[in-house]
Amino acid sequence: MHGCARSQRQARVNKNLLRIRKAKNAIATAIALTSVGLGVAILMVILYEIVTQGIAYITADTLTKTTPPPGGTGGLANSIVGSLIMVVMAMLIAIPTGVMGGVYLSEYQRRTRWGSVIRFCNDTLLSTPSICVGIFAYEMMVKPMHGFSGYAGAVALAMIAVPVILRTSESFLILVPDSLREAAAALGATKEQITLSIGFRAARSGILTGLLIALSRIMGETAPLLFTALNNQFWSLNLSHPMANLPSTIYQLAMSPYEEWHKLAWAGALLITSFVLGINLLSRYMNSYSQRAEK
Amino acid sequence: MTISSIALTDNIRPLTEETALSVRHLSFYYGHKEALSDITLNIHRNCITAIMGPSGCGKSTLLRAMNRIYDLNPTHRASGEIMIDGTNILSPGIDILSLRKKIGMVFQKPTPFPMSIYDNIAFGIKLYEKLSRAEMAVRVEQALRAAALWDEVKDNLNASGNSLSGGQQQRLCIARTLAIKPDIILMDEPTSALDPIATQKIEELMVTLKEDYTIAIVTHNLQQAARISDYAAFLYMGHLIEFRDTPTLFSKPKHPQTADYLHGRFG
Amino acid sequence: MTQRTQSLTNWTVRGLTALSGLCVVVFTIAFAILLGYAAWPAFSSFGLHFLTNEAWNPVTDTFGALSSIYGTIISAAIALVLSFPVSIGIGFCLSEIMPRRLVLPIRSLIELLAGIPSLVYGLWGMYVLAPCFQTTLQPFLIKHLGHFAFIGQIFSGPPYGVGLLTAGIVLAIMILPFLTAIVVDLFQSVPRLMKESAYALGMTPWEVTRSISLPYIKQEIFSGAFLALGRALGETMAVTFVVGNAHRISTSLLAPATTISASIANEFNEATSDMHTSSLIALGFILLVSTFLALVISKCMAARAVKGRPA
Repeated sequence: MHGCARSQRQARVNKNLLRIRKAKNAIATAIALTSVGLGVAILMVILYEIVTQGIAYITADTLTKTTPPPGGTGGLANSIVGSLIMVVMAMLIAIPTGVMGGVYLSEYQRRTRWGSVIRFCNDTLLSTPSICVGIFAYEMMVKPMHGFSGYAGAVALAMIAVPVILRTSESFLILVPDSLREAAAALGATKEQITLSIGFRAARSGILTGLLIALSRIMGETAPLLFTALNNQFWSLNLSHPMANLPSTIYQLAMSPYEEWHKLAWAGALLITSFVLGINLLSRYMNSYSQRAEK
Repeated sequence: MTISSIALTDNIRPLTEETALSVRHLSFYYGHKEALSDITLNIHRNCITAIMGPSGCGKSTLLRAMNRIYDLNPTHRASGEIMIDGTNILSPGIDILSLRKKIGMVFQKPTPFPMSIYDNIAFGIKLYEKLSRAEMAVRVEQALRAAALWDEVKDNLNASGNSLSGGQQQRLCIARTLAIKPDIILMDEPTSALDPIATQKIEELMVTLKEDYTIAIVTHNLQQAARISDYAAFLYMGHLIEFRDTPTLFSKPKHPQTADYLHGRFG
Repeated sequence: MTQRTQSLTNWTVRGLTALSGLCVVVFTIAFAILLGYAAWPAFSSFGLHFLTNEAWNPVTDTFGALSSIYGTIISAAIALVLSFPVSIGIGFCLSEIMPRRLVLPIRSLIELLAGIPSLVYGLWGMYVLAPCFQTTLQPFLIKHLGHFAFIGQIFSGPPYGVGLLTAGIVLAIMILPFLTAIVVDLFQSVPRLMKESAYALGMTPWEVTRSISLPYIKQEIFSGAFLALGRALGETMAVTFVVGNAHRISTSLLAPATTISASIANEFNEATSDMHTSSLIALGFILLVSTFLALVISKCMAARAVKGRPA
């Protein structure tokens, strides 16, 4: 009889155990769902705020006039153009360097010590704070050349873009199946011909995606431009002089005491955000498109 | 052994022997694709039932319906009945956790959890029972002994489950399943990732285990089914072609498709 | 003839790609050397005192990094403490609870938001979040926690809106998509069969996550957290707008403070003396070293995870 009571008690304990486990699961699920809701909601609120605050001030003036004088009105035209010039220049430097570096790692230094040194340095550059890149470009270019310049800004941006491009290029080139390379080699193609004809063609969309990611990344970078390109209130097409750029202008406008300027800053933020998100979407679309094409 | 009177799918008669689990008119859908259609068979208590067929025939699907592991994917859907102890486990109100305690499962590849050998066993027990430290040690030893693993790991219980060989890992997974005292053990190609020696050990283990448990095993290895099973089912393209006791099925298959399969003409 | 042009092309390709690889290494080393060189005047004249001195006084030309270091560490810590659990929660939800057709859109959204420039987060923080905190969260904290013995110190003083807490929260929001994208990918990397065998034992989704998935990807999760930490430490624009830019250490999280990156962004172009510039670069050098350490720790953990995994 005693044993029977004991096993009954045990059964009750076990039943409770099951109930407790289910309750824990329910609580954890509720908390997790809340965190999803919270995360998504906050990010949507930010997006919403940028769009609603910015859209009212994207006017013809904003897109055609230059940076306003203190307290006055104006637009972002010179900043947009300056940004575009520097970004294009940075990409012109970064694309060959990054892609070729990626080729070097994937085709010549795949499992070598030197390859892992390069890879490690590249990762270091990738995780370096952009403000430090700004200081570096200042020390390397602005100080010796005795003046802020668009060139320095472009170089600083390129230094941020190169590691991104190098890494994506390498990882997509590595994905190209060795059988493809071997087949080409069997036909008598040299390593370089294989890289140029087979590797690039197979990894093309991946590399392009990497370029777009790098582009969207440097489009919004502010810190590296603060002490390199500085900023310019006027039309500035000369790369050897301080150059207007959208991020620095937004920073200046936002930090100012003028109400009118703040509105322009919001408009600029919306412009930058839509550029960046647009490019991001494009790269995603391309990526999925190429994946579908491969199937 | 009495010869089961169950025959082809169009000729189902209830079994006289004790049934542990009975599948009735089970159909299964992956989204809109039908993977199983109108399966009816019984799993006999303290027997090994082998489910065979070419890949893609639905044999794993059938097994995965029996502990409702398919629930993890909301687009998978089953209709019909699977009866255990008079309850239909496919009905929505069923308590999944208790069901899975009653029906253990061993998978194609060994999957030791990221914890010690001891905890791999103890973890499952703790889900259902509150035991003292000493009681737990006894239970862990029992399970490891039952899975014929105790002698190999008894000095090393705190080592990671990953440190074992493939065959040992699979026996660890079997021990883990035995530890929570299930009635039925489902095995989904449990030896497909193992070498012949490890496979033989697992097969021997299964034969000893049927003293205490009911086993359903999916296998694409015909010899394995012939060696260890008491009953065998042949599935083809989601249909149950033939189900009877193993010696008869292998020696005198009634359905021509079964004969073709057994003679290696497809699959 | 053709063979000669061919071998010429081959050598050009080989040479140019090797040059690019060399460039990366040279630039990385030059980076550290140049920053160290430019920071040397500050390091040599202040010595180790630079790291322990709170005062930052351009008028007397004495500079100490402690207030900036303090702000950097505290704001990054707040960011990580807030965003880490949320990212785990999202990872749990997306891998075990939500139906697949909801998972993809949420994942894409999060990855997309990881691309928004930090400048934009900073702008939003300054114009929307800080004023909102000034009138709601901060008075609430001061009123309800301010009178406690120890915690009260942390939530004391007037509600400025801007300050370390706000900076930490903006940082948390900014690194959330980044960290979540990593965590969600890691959850996806847990072998399906392992999770199924856990479910087959009758575990609940939470138990599978807590006892199987999380231990399985533990190393990589910490590796990702250190990567995010490196980001938070070095982030400039999201912080500069909302931290308050005051070189002092206050026990209150509500008080204005500064971080390394914010000090540099604010003062570099208006530096009053060479020593001021050098001190700012010295701050940058310290930042460089700390993000480098975060990267190394992250890499070590990832390497250990790969080693401890069955083939």
